[in-house]
Amino acid sequence: MNEMNLTRRSILGGFGCACCMGMVGAAQARVTPAEVDPMIGPGHRPTDKDEQGMWQLYERAERDIADSNLLIKDPGLTRYLGGLAEKVGGPTAKDMRVYLAHIPEFNAFMAPTGFMVVFTGLLTRMRDEAQLAGVIGHEAGHFLRRHHIRGWRDTKRKSDILTVLSMGAGLGGAATGAYLGDWVRLAGMGTIFSLAAYSRHMEAEADALGLKQIARAGYDPNAMPETWEQLIGEMRATARMRRKLPRREGSLLATHPAPQSRMTDLRISAQEVRGLGTGADRGKDRYIRALGAHRKTLLEDQVKLNDPGGSLYILNSLAADGWNGLLRFYEGEVWRLRGEKGDNQRAAEAYAAAIAYPDAPPDAWRSHGYALIKMGRGDEGRRALQRYLAMAPNAPDAPMVRQTVGL
Amino acid sequence: MRRRALILLTAGAMALGGCVQTRQFADVQFQPPQGDYDLLLMRPDVSVGEVTAGGLVQPRADWTETARAHLLQALRAQQTARGGRTLVAETRESIPGVNPQTVADLERLHSAVGNSIALHKYMGADLATKRGRSLDWTLGQEAVRLGQATGMDYALFLYAQDSVASSERVALQVLGIAGCFIGFCAPQGGGGQMAYASLVDLKTGDVVWFNVLQTGSQLPGVAFGDIRTPQGAAQMVDRLIGRMKAGKEVRRAQAR
Amino acid sequence: MRKLLASFVALSLLAGCSSGVGSGLGGIGTYYRLIKPQPRTVARGTMIVQPTIAWNQIPRGPYDISREENWTLNGPYLDGLSFIGGLGNNERIVYQRRKADRKVPNFYSNMTPQDIADMIESFYMIRAGSVRFDVTALQPRAFLGQSGFQFDYNHLGGDEVERQGRAVGAIINGRLYLALFDATKLHYYGAGIGEFERIVQSARLRR
Repeated sequence: MNEMNLTRRSILGGFGCACCMGMVGAAQARVTPAEVDPMIGPGHRPTDKDEQGMWQLYERAERDIADSNLLIKDPGLTRYLGGLAEKVGGPTAKDMRVYLAHIPEFNAFMAPTGFMVVFTGLLTRMRDEAQLAGVIGHEAGHFLRRHHIRGWRDTKRKSDILTVLSMGAGLGGAATGAYLGDWVRLAGMGTIFSLAAYSRHMEAEADALGLKQIARAGYDPNAMPETWEQLIGEMRATARMRRKLPRREGSLLATHPAPQSRMTDLRISAQEVRGLGTGADRGKDRYIRALGAHRKTLLEDQVKLNDPGGSLYILNSLAADGWNGLLRFYEGEVWRLRGEKGDNQRAAEAYAAAIAYPDAPPDAWRSHGYALIKMGRGDEGRRALQRYLAMAPNAPDAPMVRQTVGL
Repeated sequence: MRRRALILLTAGAMALGGCVQTRQFADVQFQPPQGDYDLLLMRPDVSVGEVTAGGLVQPRADWTETARAHLLQALRAQQTARGGRTLVAETRESIPGVNPQTVADLERLHSAVGNSIALHKYMGADLATKRGRSLDWTLGQEAVRLGQATGMDYALFLYAQDSVASSERVALQVLGIAGCFIGFCAPQGGGGQMAYASLVDLKTGDVVWFNVLQTGSQLPGVAFGDIRTPQGAAQMVDRLIGRMKAGKEVRRAQAR
Repeated sequence: MRKLLASFVALSLLAGCSSGVGSGLGGIGTYYRLIKPQPRTVARGTMIVQPTIAWNQIPRGPYDISREENWTLNGPYLDGLSFIGGLGNNERIVYQRRKADRKVPNFYSNMTPQDIADMIESFYMIRAGSVRFDVTALQPRAFLGQSGFQFDYNHLGGDEVERQGRAVGAIINGRLYLALFDATKLHYYGAGIGEFERIVQSARLRR
């Protein structure tokens, strides 16, 4: 089930190219929103041979992606995402397509042919519509500034050995390398796609233009630097829980270098675009409504990765507007999965809190029941398990629960 | 006569430092399709690019479209010469009477099966239970149902990639690892071709024949059959599936 | 996926190109030893099983733990049978760094079958490249003559291939014993599940 995994390290090892990816070195000068405007208009089509070749690959890739069983094809949610793209996609907004990939990573990418793929891990972490619009606006920025073909030509000119870095190949550790690598190849993009490792300058351009786009659409531009703040917070939380320093290799830092300086620049730029729109819209309720039942799946995916620091960070930030049964339940799951000394107790407390809310899922009752039994409170535990059975009599694990209850 | 000429070309190319590698595996009972048969050509994956001075392979839309057209033409001609009819399934939707989801699932299963054949037959990771039996993998009942729904006897999966050295590249002969990532290893030299084909018998669902073709040019200016031309495409098709050998048992029986 | 296959094969045909495929699955000269259809001990001699057809033993990889053993009929991309024998309290089911960001939960002796199922699910999501994992059943079942569990699931990998799995296990004297069969949903799970069931039913604990 594994396949060859040409890691970044193995490719770069021989070339000592850490600097090529812009991970070290001088800070990128901020690109101001006033400096950048879209470079293409509606209905853009390539005329140069090399761009045509690239388009053809991406067109084929889009067919494969559109067909992929890795997508979430919920029409309501897809329409919502498409609507956001239209709002902040600029002059070419009507041409853009958005696909939602069921992959628990914080990532999104935009193709030069005008389609975008958003990973569910992104939706897990966005707190409201403004933050999501910020990411979409940023990706649209790459598209509107023709970064793909510019990057390709730039690389050709330099005759560099290509730094092969698939977007996300270094993300989140070895596990993601396995399937994200596949995804890239699946899309038939190969080395072309590696240009998603944009130059620092291009990232700055996309930040600036994205900010302009969302401000024009009426969103609070501060949503964009917040995303980075949250990312940094999550990475620190992940590392703290493991009692280590945040690692560059194999973490979010690998493909999103220098998040600190980008956050700072975005904060400054956000002030500069304030006048472009009302600057007030956050769209929190719209976002939660659009996610609907998917929110549970997203949290489940995240928790099952057993990154307790990161997961708790996400849960806590989502709980900033108030805890509920779902969030307390998953808090419990995080502790249960970590399973270190004292975690059973922590989990039990979280489950007990969860079931007090009306929105507690049936699983909360099950977990609550098992936790009580582990603590020696067998009768209470079995009563909770019976409550689970009453709520979900046909659950896949009902036979096991029945045996535990003694039925 | 034509065949001999091709062999000479190949030999000549090798003398000049080119190389053609191809190795096929077949089910021991395999008989190359002959006479009146229907072949379903699953979505062929074709791509032609230009190898730049820096070792990058730059996709060329015009070259790809041309090559694709010529390859399909060559395939049709080759199968017709054998007495067969070819239905090309350009997209997952273009197989009449078959749900595109089914086509998608079969393609995915085939890639896992193809990977297995590659791993256990071409990469030396032999499976003890499959030694001696030349090819022993199947796509199962779903493939049989595909055959029944379409009336097809065989399905052929094909992948072909070609890259042509640009003049700067030819001049520089720079070592590039870029090729490896897009599926074509060009560690040195100019351009080259890489293709694989696998034949599935839709009466049983079994993969009955599998072949990989790789050519590479070590020396500047030595071009192999350029698949952007009808002749070059025909040459690749011929190399890849034109020399289907019968399975071991059949050959043995024929020898007697 | 085609590109993946092509790059695979490309590397293999070139002299000296050994791909170092994943967890020791392949490369020039890797050999999958024959497992004859007769009683034999598995997983470090902790269990005796009786296969009724020949299997291939998957060569040990860098992420294998000492208490596991893996077999296959058609190759690990298509099907696989894993044994874990006598895994102790706070031991891991896959080799991983102690401080890994995403860590497959260790086994604990006081785990419920639900905990074990979640541990297996985490393994698939963290290490085996699954993006989706669905539990289809969790029920009591005897294993090695003791009270245990059976866990049925589906999962989807980044290669877009749907796979199906069944794990049968028990905790005996605080140690985990497990037999797990995982294969492509199309054809290979159905083709192999019968033999897996025979093996599970034949399994005995070896003191």
